[in-house]
Amino acid sequence: MRNTRDTQLLFDLSKPGRRAARLPACDVPERPPEELLPAGAIAAAAPALPEVTEPQIVRHYVNLSTQNMSVDTHFYPLGSCTMKYNPKRNERAAAMPGFADLHPLQPAETIQGMLHVLYEMQQYLSEISGLAACSLQPAAGAHGEYAALLVAAAYFRDMGQSEQRKRVLVPDNAHGTNPASAVMAGFDTVAVKTLKNGGVDMADFYAKLDDRIAVFMITNPNTVGIFEPAMRELADAVHQRGGLVYLDGANMNAILGVTRPGDFGADMQHYNPHKTFSGPHGGGGPGAGPICVTKRLAPYLPGPVVEKELRGASCEAREDEIAPFSPLSPRNSQLHRYSLTSPPKSIGRVRSFVGNVGVLLRAYCYIRTHGPDGLRAVSENAVLNANYLLSRVKHFLPVPQGDRCMHEFVASGSRLKAERGVAAMDVAKRLLDFGYHAPTVYFPLTVPEAIMVEPTETESKETLDAFAETLFRITGEDPQLLHEAPHTTPISRPDEVQAARQPTLCCPVF
Amino acid sequence: MLKKALSDCGIRIADCGLPIAIAEFGLRIAEYPIPKLLAAIAFRNPHSETRIRNPNSAFRIPHSQIRILPSAFRIPQSLMPYLYNTPDDQREMLRAIGAESIDELFAPIPADLQLKRSLDLPPAMSELELDRHLQMLAGLNDHAAKKVCFLGGGSYDHFVPAVVDAIAGRSEFYTSYTPYQAEASQGNLQVMFEYQSLITRLTGMDVANSSLYDGASAAAEAVLMALHAHPQRRKIVAPASVHPQYRETIATYLANLDAELVTLDCPGGVIDADALAATVDGDTAAVLVQQPNFFGCVEDADRASAIAKTAGALLISVFDPISLGLLKRPGDYGASIAVAEGHTLGTPMSYGGPYLGIMACDQSLVRRMPGRIVGETRDRRGKRCFVLTLQTREQHIRREKATSNVCTNQALFAVRASVYLAQLGPQGLRETASLCLQKSRYLAGRLCENDRFSLAFAAPTFKEFVIRDAANDVDGLLRTALEAGYLAGLPLAPWYPELSDCLLIAVTEKRTKAELDGLVHALSAAPARQEALS
Ligand SMILES: Cc1ncc(COP(=O)(O)O)c(C=O)c1O
Repeated sequence: MRNTRDTQLLFDLSKPGRRAARLPACDVPERPPEELLPAGAIAAAAPALPEVTEPQIVRHYVNLSTQNMSVDTHFYPLGSCTMKYNPKRNERAAAMPGFADLHPLQPAETIQGMLHVLYEMQQYLSEISGLAACSLQPAAGAHGEYAALLVAAAYFRDMGQSEQRKRVLVPDNAHGTNPASAVMAGFDTVAVKTLKNGGVDMADFYAKLDDRIAVFMITNPNTVGIFEPAMRELADAVHQRGGLVYLDGANMNAILGVTRPGDFGADMQHYNPHKTFSGPHGGGGPGAGPICVTKRLAPYLPGPVVEKELRGASCEAREDEIAPFSPLSPRNSQLHRYSLTSPPKSIGRVRSFVGNVGVLLRAYCYIRTHGPDGLRAVSENAVLNANYLLSRVKHFLPVPQGDRCMHEFVASGSRLKAERGVAAMDVAKRLLDFGYHAPTVYFPLTVPEAIMVEPTETESKETLDAFAETLFRITGEDPQLLHEAPHTTPISRPDEVQAARQPTLCCPVF
Repeated sequence: MLKKALSDCGIRIADCGLPIAIAEFGLRIAEYPIPKLLAAIAFRNPHSETRIRNPNSAFRIPHSQIRILPSAFRIPQSLMPYLYNTPDDQREMLRAIGAESIDELFAPIPADLQLKRSLDLPPAMSELELDRHLQMLAGLNDHAAKKVCFLGGGSYDHFVPAVVDAIAGRSEFYTSYTPYQAEASQGNLQVMFEYQSLITRLTGMDVANSSLYDGASAAAEAVLMALHAHPQRRKIVAPASVHPQYRETIATYLANLDAELVTLDCPGGVIDADALAATVDGDTAAVLVQQPNFFGCVEDADRASAIAKTAGALLISVFDPISLGLLKRPGDYGASIAVAEGHTLGTPMSYGGPYLGIMACDQSLVRRMPGRIVGETRDRRGKRCFVLTLQTREQHIRREKATSNVCTNQALFAVRASVYLAQLGPQGLRETASLCLQKSRYLAGRLCENDRFSLAFAAPTFKEFVIRDAANDVDGLLRTALEAGYLAGLPLAPWYPELSDCLLIAVTEKRTKAELDGLVHALSAAPARQEALS
């Protein structure tokens, strides 16, 4: 039960002389720090951290945790975020000392098990994407976008086209990270219009497509949850102009084993394993952003990547000698060895060490738990759930894109707003009162009063029914009640303008 | 023969061709009685073929021959632990949707773009099998409890108190999303606000964001900030004593921008102030200083800061959070931006990630900062609360004009760092830093009792140091030490060819005197290469 009393700031709990940690006595001969370090480098005092006891810490944070909604406690249909169940077996696996207590620069021969997982992940992700090569470096989806765009830039530089190809085309309903990544990678962005159904406006696309194109970034299924109707034509047109197609893979949960980006024209993509492959979001992170690319872009991938050597020979040649799925049986460990390498024309690294391996390890568990048919079943049920919810919601909240969707749909609250003065945000806030996390609202920007719902496959029909009924009930409620919602949460309608105008970003030291 | 084997297992084969029967078998299992199926499980080989195994025989079918058939039936949920929809649910839902089958829902994907086979991935595993498989793989790794870890270079074997795991293991923290709905996320938001406060106190800086990916990418983001703050200046100066992977990351980030990364040699293991002063000029946007630096040496940060300031450049400090128990804070020596790898605050080494990118800066730079920032405000009833703020810097509002593309960050590690810092308190942090200092200096001293070893640099060190092997056999040393149970240190040759006879050794508070003495013994016992001695 929520304890609303114990939510003082951590710093308010502090009293001089309290402490939680005791360290072992120093077991080597000690010398005064002033003898060991230059006087000018030593701090006058230790940092002003709070002085608290361990039970205080536990009560403080546990009580704060109860002020959150989470996947483990609530239905969390946050569009574009794929808030599916985060399996506990994955958590336990990532915490195994044999994975958690490895130093990132240990010699390869001491981490063959870890490298096996990462090598296999490269293979699995390539297979699922239909693209030849994979790098696990990037730390999140946006980081993957950025890394892949750097790969594209390096490729064009190699082709002697970097002066010519400066433009990245991005549909106007794309996630904000797409244009932001393109600019960071040194490109100019050109927004391409989209139609009411979410598909790319082909006339606008052709008007903006010319020989200056470097990359066309597309999210498919896109951010309104439909499969881009002109995908093939778009990809062909970009390729004809010598450009590359980037797939924002945030919505892979809809198409696992159904279709592959490499097969529908993508040259590069990122994954969000913290969405598609059940990595917990951690209140905002961590994620990971592995990228897959075609064979011709593989030499530019960020490194390191994991390589498998087979008795000195390249692995393709002797692969057939290895019994499936027992790759590290005593017999096979003599057959091959994993190591880290950098691709020959690599753009370099985009962070320290190999990648967010803890997230990738969970994704590995997820893929191994499902197998090929299970992954397809995930997408089938994600799409079924979304369509089912759409079929229930469309009667009272218009869904401009039509009657069908992939893994998510975007309803519009514009009629509600016009007729009753109720905004999408009001609906979102009121849902919290009924114990549902709000859908994503006001994204994509192309749908007025957007309410973006992604139920995921790890929810039941009963939950979807109850959610739809609640949503229906809310649309008929007193507008004033809705403007002031939520009514049951610890706080309601924070003043965001004030927060930004006179920012208080930390607790002052007295 | 295959038909016979399958019918031996009680599986009827449709009149369609053989490969199709197999596909049906593999992908549409619900059509067959489960107990019979268990006697004949389809294994998908990751390489090229599907195997049908039964008690009596095994067959292989090339994957190219496998086709997926449309079907109204789906995988029984008994095989899929996280799915709810029973076949009855599915039928009812399809009826409500007005669709004949699930395949119909995928009709918007043109048939020629659909995958006509099943993914070439290993078959599903039960939890028990998965656990066994992972235990086997984990067992192949020499983790810190098996080999005593003296490796550093940006990742360190510090102690993680149990309370950190207990709090970060609360699923209200780890299974929630970014706190866009403040009313449903006050827990996360308050923790972030407290984290930002803890980081400003730790660093002596004005403001902190709520996390970036890791130390190296945080350093690169700091460089981009500096370039934006100084649009006329195009030069970034980084001494060679800054972590090579951080410099590589910065170089990657700058590759397509109109900016230049200038590396300053550090033959003495620390910044040569005169050389720095000669390199930094009116075109320099920022100077990086790592404190303690990659070699473990303590830099004269005040001096570097003064040089940067004189030229009007920003000082970017790359600091070690643990060192701030003893060393001056970045704010004390005038850093404009301070970044760090924060995994040392309560997160195990985890083979390098996910980690925590810490970033703090001057008040004047706050609107250029990347990443999410939490601020305090009041709610409708006047109650103090917390929200994401200054969002007009961010990609979801500003798109191509955003200060950075960062969206997902490392929030859970900010939770861990907060709990860790609360647990240690000022005294605990000081003691931890002190143990690192004392123990590493003890080890350095003991090693240098052997004529074979000497410190590569004269500058004082904090928890890491570089030793030079007179016998020039770093590989041999590492091999011998590994056999004796020690990960003795990092060879520097890959990054600094001129230091190919050197080893970077790190000592945390976790190392005991017995382990330190053990390492000394192991390294001293290492045979020196013949040619090196002669
Ligand atoms: C469509 C889309 N693209 C890209 C991203 C960025 O991914 P990340 O948050 O992992 O950086 C997201 C998620 O937030 C997304 O929904």
